Amino acid sequence: METFIQLVVDGLATGSIYAALALAIVLVNQATGLINFAQGGMAVLSAYIAYVFVQLGLPIIVAILIAVVLSFVFGALVERFLVRRFERGDPDTAVVVTIGLLTLVTGISAVLWGYNNLAFPSLFPLTSVEILGAVVSVRSLATAVTIVVIMVVLQLLFLRTKLGLALRAVADNPSSAAFSGLPVGRLLMVGWGLAATLGAIAGVLVAPQLTLTPGMLDTALVYALAAVILGGLNSPIGCVVAASAIGVLENLVAVYVPLIGHDLKIAVPFVLIFVILILRPQGLFGRKVVVRV
Amino acid sequence: MTLLELKAVTASYGPVQVLDGVSLSVPEGGSVGILGANGAGKTTTLRAISGTVRTGGTIRFDGRDIRGLRSDQVAALGIAHVPEGRGTLGQLSVRENLLVGAYLRRDRKAIETDIEYCLDLFPQLQDRVGSRAAALSGGEQQMLAVGRAFMARPKLLLLDEASLGLAPGTAKTVYQAIRRLRLESGIAMLVVEQNANLAFSLVDTATVLETGRNVLTGTSAQLKGMDEIRRAYLGG
Amino acid sequence: MSTAAATVRRRRVRLVLVAVVAVLLVAAPLILPAFANQTLVRIGVYAVAVLGLNIIMGYTGQVNLGQIFFVGLGAYVTAYGVNHGWNILLVFVAACAIAGVVGLLVALAAARLGGLAIAMVTIALPIVGVPLAKRLADFTGGSQGVSARFTDAPDWSGLANDQWQFYIVLVVVAGAFLLARSLVHGKYGRAFAAVRENEAVAASMGISPYRTKVLAFTIASVFGGASGFLYLAAVQYTSPETLSFGHSISLLAAMVIGGAGSIAGSLLGGAYYVLVPQLTNAIDPNLTTVSQGAILLAVLFLLPGGLVSLPRVVRRLTRRPPARRSISRPAAETSQQTTPAHRPVPDAAPEEREQTERQDGP
Repeated sequence: METFIQLVVDGLATGSIYAALALAIVLVNQATGLINFAQGGMAVLSAYIAYVFVQLGLPIIVAILIAVVLSFVFGALVERFLVRRFERGDPDTAVVVTIGLLTLVTGISAVLWGYNNLAFPSLFPLTSVEILGAVVSVRSLATAVTIVVIMVVLQLLFLRTKLGLALRAVADNPSSAAFSGLPVGRLLMVGWGLAATLGAIAGVLVAPQLTLTPGMLDTALVYALAAVILGGLNSPIGCVVAASAIGVLENLVAVYVPLIGHDLKIAVPFVLIFVILILRPQGLFGRKVVVRV
Repeated sequence: MTLLELKAVTASYGPVQVLDGVSLSVPEGGSVGILGANGAGKTTTLRAISGTVRTGGTIRFDGRDIRGLRSDQVAALGIAHVPEGRGTLGQLSVRENLLVGAYLRRDRKAIETDIEYCLDLFPQLQDRVGSRAAALSGGEQQMLAVGRAFMARPKLLLLDEASLGLAPGTAKTVYQAIRRLRLESGIAMLVVEQNANLAFSLVDTATVLETGRNVLTGTSAQLKGMDEIRRAYLGG
Repeated sequence: MSTAAATVRRRRVRLVLVAVVAVLLVAAPLILPAFANQTLVRIGVYAVAVLGLNIIMGYTGQVNLGQIFFVGLGAYVTAYGVNHGWNILLVFVAACAIAGVVGLLVALAAARLGGLAIAMVTIALPIVGVPLAKRLADFTGGSQGVSARFTDAPDWSGLANDQWQFYIVLVVVAGAFLLARSLVHGKYGRAFAAVRENEAVAASMGISPYRTKVLAFTIASVFGGASGFLYLAAVQYTSPETLSFGHSISLLAAMVIGGAGSIAGSLLGGAYYVLVPQLTNAIDPNLTTVSQGAILLAVLFLLPGGLVSLPRVVRRLTRRPPARRSISRPAAETSQQTTPAHRPVPDAAPEEREQTERQDGP
């Protein structure tokens, strides 16, 4: 039982990382209509930036805040100068652009810091706490809670503030929103900036565990994409639920199904996807999208 | 006082030129119609004003040259465009659509009052206030689109084919509400409409476009009386 | 000269050209040094893989991030067959067929999803493939990989090994390219293009987007399997590293840079895949990834048709721009009247440029 609780809590923690990346992907998709395959790579670069400031002697929380702010700027600039030309056009071309961006960002990380694994300090204490007789890592709990809080804050931003209303309007119908005076370009930059920020937070929270290396979030990205497919592209809540489920499931399967084990647990979300999507193509929570010719 | 003035405006989509010298003017508080068959350039004229198509010629609003401005910049000057197809923000609720219309305003109390006024103007929206806009009928969406444009308290309203796709009774109701809006608020209007009867119920003067150029201009009374208009647009 | 005569003349010229190229290709390995032959062989290997990717991605418009998985699969099947003494032709057929069957199964499920979901799902293939290859050590030799040597030149040919390999690869590459060309120029090619343009319209024309996508994906996998066979023929060793995620992206980049939707572009893509990393690694291995990303982005921005479109683009840039058509005036008069519309608008923001490209009417 104790192992089970441990696995579930750890699973929720990793699941929350996938959820943050998945939300970032959904946010970008709703605003600009494309899937950003570089979301994880950009997050890793942000983690490296935080690493630089930690090396300079700044406290970890300050380094993280600086990196998060810089990642917002970076995301906004990527939208403005790299992606804008491909928005609302052929989504497959846009995907290749983001893949180019992923390669570029990974390459920059490699040039500046090499391929070695670097140690990244943990924001949360590495102690454990007892829950229902199980020994649970504080870091896992705190990671999951932090990301949940941030997602709630984002939801409030989107649903209750004027900026959030504007972002949703632009995502819905940018040319029509412009007729009401909304500065569409600037709002798209904000959307991408917010998505990059989400990724950066995920990156700095998971870096201590995975150790910092240019490809650190490649696998997490794949899980995040699986969560987006399962949860549906237009349902943020669905993605979060799917991501948490994937995180917990992969942990449980790795331990309780030795045939699959730790090395093949990555296959689990995709088997799940194949099965579910054959029955329900729009994902677990998504709505069917009607495409007009 | 001339509020809007177009002189010899040209516009093209890529290599195809659609406007070939369109001129018109809208006085402050006035209401002008643009009539013509499909493909004559009516919608493009409105697009030229609100900055969604590349243009040549002169477009002056409130004394300043607005050619080349982005759509949101044009909106900030006081022009509200209700596009063809309504441009409803489908995923947002009716109330949120209206709030988006008021995006550039800061007077929160007045915004709420204006929302009340919109719902009074279009009673059909009253019990749909929380619904997603995409779930509304065509007529309700048209009313919502006009309401959203009004929420900006514009000086000039650009109305593009407001009757398109609506049953005759619904179209009439929409136009009646717009007429009331005009009388009570004094907003100037530039109305593109294929249904000349509806147009004449709303505008003082009108111009007829054909293949991108003006072919006829006059007051509603004059045009209504002309044989060509009667045959082409008023059903004989 | 009448057009019929011109067509015959053009066809004759093309035949002569093809004959010259064929002679060159047959003679080349006998003249070139071993290193050159080996490089050309590797270009051929990846050209076939890129060609397969082109069929599903360039022609049918579905982003496929898993092509390298089928290359690896073909290589492993080849190694297994060779090491178990199968007839070489049987090995080739098995590599292609098994890759094709797996591709078919993947496509049957993945093609049900929208286009982007195919990308998101195929990304799993290399990611799952690597640990899978390590796990199934009985078939794959695990993390160590597996070697198989079967392309030593037989004594009766009197050729060196690299020359013999060249001819094997040449035969398969030529076959693959001819097959692809006839596919693309026939009714399947039209189906691919229709699905890429607009699936709803294709469906209304009686073309099933689902079936077309499944077909294209399966063909791509078969080409991938063939490429794997050639890979083992050339390199004589394969390991889980062969089908890693990084290689998958490199293959996709090579396709785009060579020329998406172009048969000749696939050759350029294969050349790019083999030659450029060699170059950047020689300068500084850490620079390879950055330069790959930078080049891919540069091509997407400046030369979206890939390197194969370079001559066409240069020709277009050096030609005078055509006069604008007007719907109300004959072409002769438009050149004076349209100058006002031509005048660039200094304050125009980027959004406006996109909006003028819309083709919806007045």
